[in-house]
Amino acid sequence: MLVSLAFRNLWRNSRRTLLTLSAMVVSSSLLILALGVFSGMFADMLASATEQYYGHLVISARGYQDDRDMFADFSDYAALAGNLRKRPEVRGVSPRLRAFGLVAHADSTYPAELLGVQPAQEQQVTSFSRQLVAGRYLDETETAGALIGAGLAKKLGVQPGDELVFLTQAADGSIGNDLLTVTGIFETGSGNRDNALVLVNLPWLQKLTVLPDRIHELAITILEPMRAGELAAPLQTNLPAGLEVLTWGQLLPEMQEVIASYNVSRLILVAILYAATGLGILNTIFMSVMERTREFGILMAMGMKPRSVQNLVLLETLAMGVVSMTLGVAAGLAMTLYMERVGVDLSPYLSAVTYAGGTILPRLSAAFEADNVTIPAFALLLVSLAAGYFPARRAARLQPIEAIREE
Amino acid sequence: MNRLVTLWLCIWVACCPLAFGETLDLRELIREVEIQYRGHSSHALVHMEVATENWQRSLEMESWSLERDRFLTRILEPPKERGVSTLKVDDEVWNYLPKVDRVIKIPPSMMGGSWMGSHITNDDLVKGSQIDRDYTFALAEETNSIWRIECLPRPEAAVVWGKLVYEIEKTTRLPLRVDYYDEDMVRVREIVFDEVQTVSGRKLPLRMTVLPLDKPAERTIMRYRDLEFDLPLPPDFFSLRFLKAR
Repeated sequence: MLVSLAFRNLWRNSRRTLLTLSAMVVSSSLLILALGVFSGMFADMLASATEQYYGHLVISARGYQDDRDMFADFSDYAALAGNLRKRPEVRGVSPRLRAFGLVAHADSTYPAELLGVQPAQEQQVTSFSRQLVAGRYLDETETAGALIGAGLAKKLGVQPGDELVFLTQAADGSIGNDLLTVTGIFETGSGNRDNALVLVNLPWLQKLTVLPDRIHELAITILEPMRAGELAAPLQTNLPAGLEVLTWGQLLPEMQEVIASYNVSRLILVAILYAATGLGILNTIFMSVMERTREFGILMAMGMKPRSVQNLVLLETLAMGVVSMTLGVAAGLAMTLYMERVGVDLSPYLSAVTYAGGTILPRLSAAFEADNVTIPAFALLLVSLAAGYFPARRAARLQPIEAIREE
Repeated sequence: MNRLVTLWLCIWVACCPLAFGETLDLRELIREVEIQYRGHSSHALVHMEVATENWQRSLEMESWSLERDRFLTRILEPPKERGVSTLKVDDEVWNYLPKVDRVIKIPPSMMGGSWMGSHITNDDLVKGSQIDRDYTFALAEETNSIWRIECLPRPEAAVVWGKLVYEIEKTTRLPLRVDYYDEDMVRVREIVFDEVQTVSGRKLPLRMTVLPLDKPAERTIMRYRDLEFDLPLPPDFFSLRFLKAR
């Protein structure tokens, strides 16, 4: 009976109810969208930091990532990589060898970092193959091919098809030098990579540096980057002695902090928005309770218990909360998914910004994250119940006689 | 009182030349040390042994120099690297790589990098010949047998060291050792000279040992032989064209 009474009360002043409802729906759906866009931005940033270079997990000799010592290498990685690929959480595993030296073309020479990779494996870990601005991705069959960063290519004045000389010191102390042919040019938006990184075929670099069958790291991408830590712990115990596994959070501590601070600011945003929404709901319900003072007096005079009056008012707010939550979540999800698929291109107005090791791309897009929906939804219900509580208590405490007399 | 001061001054002035011998030109002394293997022009065979924590190797090289700003060296052994050459003209250093038949200019940012894998940097090749321009000199210590000369970089000089200390033997005017201090005045490298012999009428230390002090196990030893001086080498000899043609 209370339920049907509550709904009738809501419908009786349908304009006010609809206004309140719309405020709740709009605030919750926009909040879900805003959080989705934030998540999208951070996902982009994390992806740029990890998928443009490191990967989510990196296995290397203990201490290698601190000083990139050429001699901190390891071999017999094939079995390890094979086992890793069998794991369901793992998306890609790429063995890499790194060398620092000089690249030259015609009269210009610049310092560069060469990353020797197996093109097909690397493609599953990093996004270079999708960030080409000229030419083609690396190919195993073109032994001396090179994929070069856009900034470096510009400084050297090279185009796909041009020749590069690479000079470095090999592991036996000799002077390693050989020719490369530019197959493609990539642009990630991150200056560190675009201005100094060259991808080459692993066997070519192993031969040049006289490090046969050796690599410096296994870069791994996983399906859920936020769970890298959970995956790293059991991996570490199974690694051969001398090797360690590092997560992107350890490789990029600033990025870890940015994301942790995002999680806090997300809650603050929810709190601020719902404080405002809650006051709106409180206002509406209070008004409707005040208007119905006489009505509640009559109900109680007819024998309705104060408790039931309180529940009646709470039910009204709960009904509004549930309806607006459903609509708000639906609308918020729809907008988030639209932004995820389509997005807004801001490149005419903004250029890419590199921050905390990641790149914020000049586009607005969203990423779906369960927390971004459940937190606003539950918060909306809680706020509407809290906003209903005070008017409900007031209604329950009315004295029937005085209430009936009230004009 | 005044007379006493004057007397002291007179004695001091009179003694000065005695204390320092003939006026000692520190700048000239250091310059002589830096170009001891060069003369106006020179030709030499150099054996270089490099030991690092990870590898050891030895190179046989042939080198030429003209005045203080031109220098050319070419690897003879090992066969894998035969023909790899370094050309220094003024402040610039080029490497010629016969395997790919290309010349690479060492960019300014890499001048601090190792030369031919040794503990000598490209900068050492360039800056060594400019030492009298980049540093101020002071006699830090004098004993019966040596001068110890402290060289501090001029404020405007683009050098990597905080201080150099030369120890020079008085009788021969030859260096015994040079200590290199970094910008925090920590001694980071020393070069020791020994095996003095008379070559083409000059006395020279034929062995030079470079010791990086942060890596005690590492060293570079250079031995000079068949030194010849004052050869008729045309400036053209030290050009990129020549580098490739050889």
